[in-house]
Amino acid sequence: MTTYLTIKSILMAAAIIGAFGVFFARTKRLVLLMKRVQGRSAAAPDRLGVRIKVLFTDVLGQSNVRRKALPGIAHTLIFFGFLAVQPHSVELMLRGVFPAVHVSGFIPGLYGGYLFIADILAFLVLLGLAYGLYRRLVARPAYLTNGLDARLIIAFIAVIIVTFHLLNALLLLPAIGGTGFDYDRFFTVSKALGEVLGLQNLSPAAGRVVYEAAYWAHILTILGFLVYIPGSKHLHMLAAAPNVFLKPLARPKPMIPTDLEAEGALSYGLGKVSDLSWKSVLDLYACTECGRCEEQCPAALTGKPLSPQRVVHDAKVDLLQQSDAVLKRSFEAVQPLVRDGSPISGDVVWSCTTCRACEDICPVNIQHLDILLEIRKHQVLMEASFPPEMQDTFISLENQSNPWGFGSDTRGDWAKGLDVPRLCDRPEAELLFYVGCAGSFDDRGKQISQAMVRVLKKAGVDFAILGEEERCNGDMARRAGNEYLAQTMIRENANVLNQYRPRKILAGCPHCYNTLKHEYPQFGARFDVLHASELLLQLFREGRLEVKTGIREPVAVHDSCYLGRWNGLYDAPRAILQILGGGSAPREMRRSRDKGLCCGAGGGRMFMEEKIGKRINAERIDDLLASGAGITAAACPFCITMLRDGLADCGSQVVVQDIVELVDRATS
Amino acid sequence: MRIYVCVKHVPDTAARITVVGGTGFAETCKFIVNPYDEYAVEEAARLSRKDGGGEVIVVTVGKEAAVASLRAALALGPQRGILVKTDAQFLDSRTTGLALKKAIERDGAPDLILTGKQSVDSEGMQTPYRLAQALGMPVVSDVVKLTVEGRRALVEREVDGGGREVLEVGLPCVIGATRGLNEPHYPKLPEIMQAKKKEIKVIPMAELGLSGDEGCTEIVQLAATPERGQARMLEGSAREKVEQLVGLLEQENVL
Repeated sequence: MTTYLTIKSILMAAAIIGAFGVFFARTKRLVLLMKRVQGRSAAAPDRLGVRIKVLFTDVLGQSNVRRKALPGIAHTLIFFGFLAVQPHSVELMLRGVFPAVHVSGFIPGLYGGYLFIADILAFLVLLGLAYGLYRRLVARPAYLTNGLDARLIIAFIAVIIVTFHLLNALLLLPAIGGTGFDYDRFFTVSKALGEVLGLQNLSPAAGRVVYEAAYWAHILTILGFLVYIPGSKHLHMLAAAPNVFLKPLARPKPMIPTDLEAEGALSYGLGKVSDLSWKSVLDLYACTECGRCEEQCPAALTGKPLSPQRVVHDAKVDLLQQSDAVLKRSFEAVQPLVRDGSPISGDVVWSCTTCRACEDICPVNIQHLDILLEIRKHQVLMEASFPPEMQDTFISLENQSNPWGFGSDTRGDWAKGLDVPRLCDRPEAELLFYVGCAGSFDDRGKQISQAMVRVLKKAGVDFAILGEEERCNGDMARRAGNEYLAQTMIRENANVLNQYRPRKILAGCPHCYNTLKHEYPQFGARFDVLHASELLLQLFREGRLEVKTGIREPVAVHDSCYLGRWNGLYDAPRAILQILGGGSAPREMRRSRDKGLCCGAGGGRMFMEEKIGKRINAERIDDLLASGAGITAAACPFCITMLRDGLADCGSQVVVQDIVELVDRATS
Repeated sequence: MRIYVCVKHVPDTAARITVVGGTGFAETCKFIVNPYDEYAVEEAARLSRKDGGGEVIVVTVGKEAAVASLRAALALGPQRGILVKTDAQFLDSRTTGLALKKAIERDGAPDLILTGKQSVDSEGMQTPYRLAQALGMPVVSDVVKLTVEGRRALVEREVDGGGREVLEVGLPCVIGATRGLNEPHYPKLPEIMQAKKKEIKVIPMAELGLSGDEGCTEIVQLAATPERGQARMLEGSAREKVEQLVGLLEQENVL
């Protein structure tokens, strides 16, 4: 026995040192990769107090994971149970090397209490794993990654937990557990398990053999798992908590600004894995391929080749495959991310509507768009590679500052005969109505702008427009990767705005709103920007607007991505509709608010052909029709165009109206 | 091969033209490279790349502001630009042809000269011919396909009725490009940045021995096209609609 213990002690020490050595070497390489990549990120551990609170709510509290109820509970059980068995495993390792050590002697009460809790939590892991297995073998949702990796991880954890209980049950045998510590009081689940298995009938020698076998199985599985983790999707275990800790603390997020005038810059955007930012690399590590992003993604839902989790996975594989060159700083040897035969193809990159459903739903706060939009930037600026139909759109934006190519000096024509002052004639106006391209040139958009003018006049608001001095806000070009064109337009607008310094800016289009509010400050233009839904609600509450003929028929509400997910403005449009409906709330569609489905127009998709899969607007129309409401209220001219087209395609009588138009109608 | 491409700085067709003083217009609107000239620039850049040597030079005649169009053309690949500077808002094609000829001759010996078949502002459609005549070179315009082999060019040009005429022409010659010759590429950012640094030589027109009075036409009056009227939908039965239509046509003195 002594010989065995000596051999065990030596083997155990060697196994522990070996496994931890490999683990640290592999992890160090991953951390070094984060340091070597060249892209820049604004992420930083600022506002520590808030971030520590995030650790409690999001990591320990598992709040994001539980946005999906059953898988969330299963994850929570596995998470806490797995954490709970770790001190026990460390003790076992210690005792394997130093058999004389007994931690139980230090504070027996605390030790016992810990074992009591760990024994129960560990068992709950098995319930969580069973649910995980059920999803992979029976339910099999399409979005869930279901490979060998996932099953191996389940197997690893299952073996660890089962042997944990087996070891504990065997400790209850006097011949094995005879250390003087009363395990019987603390092991509830393990005790029951021992009784079911009839362990009490084992001879002392047989008990010892089973114990040693279970011991080796337990420790070697843990050590094997440790070695396995850094190379698997379960790297998530190490990277998820830091990634959540570093998450953007505010919902609105400006695009990463690129200094196009930088001396010596050879490349812009994300061309190859070495152009990733350290934070994006951490994002790649944090993903455990739960598939929630894919489940929400309008492109993936309609049969396009884009799946946010695949992009993350493929970028991670590419990074690891090319890690030698990156670590050696031989960046010129790194292959482009989008290349012949690479899984991240042009169709993948250009399918994204930038609706941000992926980032919103991600339980570990992965910023998918930081990757996708930076790839687009590189494709446009460095490769001039984009859907061919976008060339005319870019040229129209460049020459006439609107995507359709109407003369920019006809930008104010929609307001003819409405007696709307120009800001140049009335610089003291309390509000600048920033109309946007759709509101200025698109026939449907012009109707909404005209309704806005009537509403503002009814409320006695002192406002003006820029007219011919207005330019496109830049969102479309920017999210379609044309940072150069976008910055040109943004700077032109910023100059005009800074010259007049309006007190408040009203935007009817959520894209104008988002860019003016969150991205113009990057270019030195900081203003108080309001969306129409915010201003009109305020006007109702101040009594400056009054409902004269309420809207009696049911109205369903469609969330625009740039109002909702990008800015968290879900309530204002609903509050207005409730006022118009005489107190009755608007109807919610099957997918609404943070899970609302995109119309398909964002990210420049409005001006690209949609040739693959089902049309996204058609997918949204299914929700509209299912709501049973005759009117759908939206708050974005692009949503309205997409939804109207989708309704026309299926011959529906449902009408889509801007909230501003509904307000105009109800207050007349 | 040394290729010269003649381009013009013109108001964008989408721009609203405000007539000033009866014979001029406000230059506050957006200007672009004449689209037909863009085909010429793209073709020259492609030929030069295929040729693997030589130089492409963009030449324009215009005001100082025309530099913007030279830069835009340079982003498509040419190495340098020449601006023959004038203060005149309009030049007739004779003056333009002479100015281009003198600027090119002064710069070097062309193997090929490319330009658009017409400009989208004054639409004279004469510059390729007048330039070729001044230089004593052959000229082919409305070109949709161009292949250069040694000192000869095989040229396809569009003729009436959608037909194609295939000609062989000796170099140097003048080619007038039209839609279909190629699809000008969207410049990459490095191309735009490099274009900002490329050399542009500015030559005052007087330095070429031209007074600006070489023209043989004179602008008497410029007028904006009247805004197009809205379509009117007639209501009622087929018979009523026809009756209304006949009445309207009589009113307009069409019948």
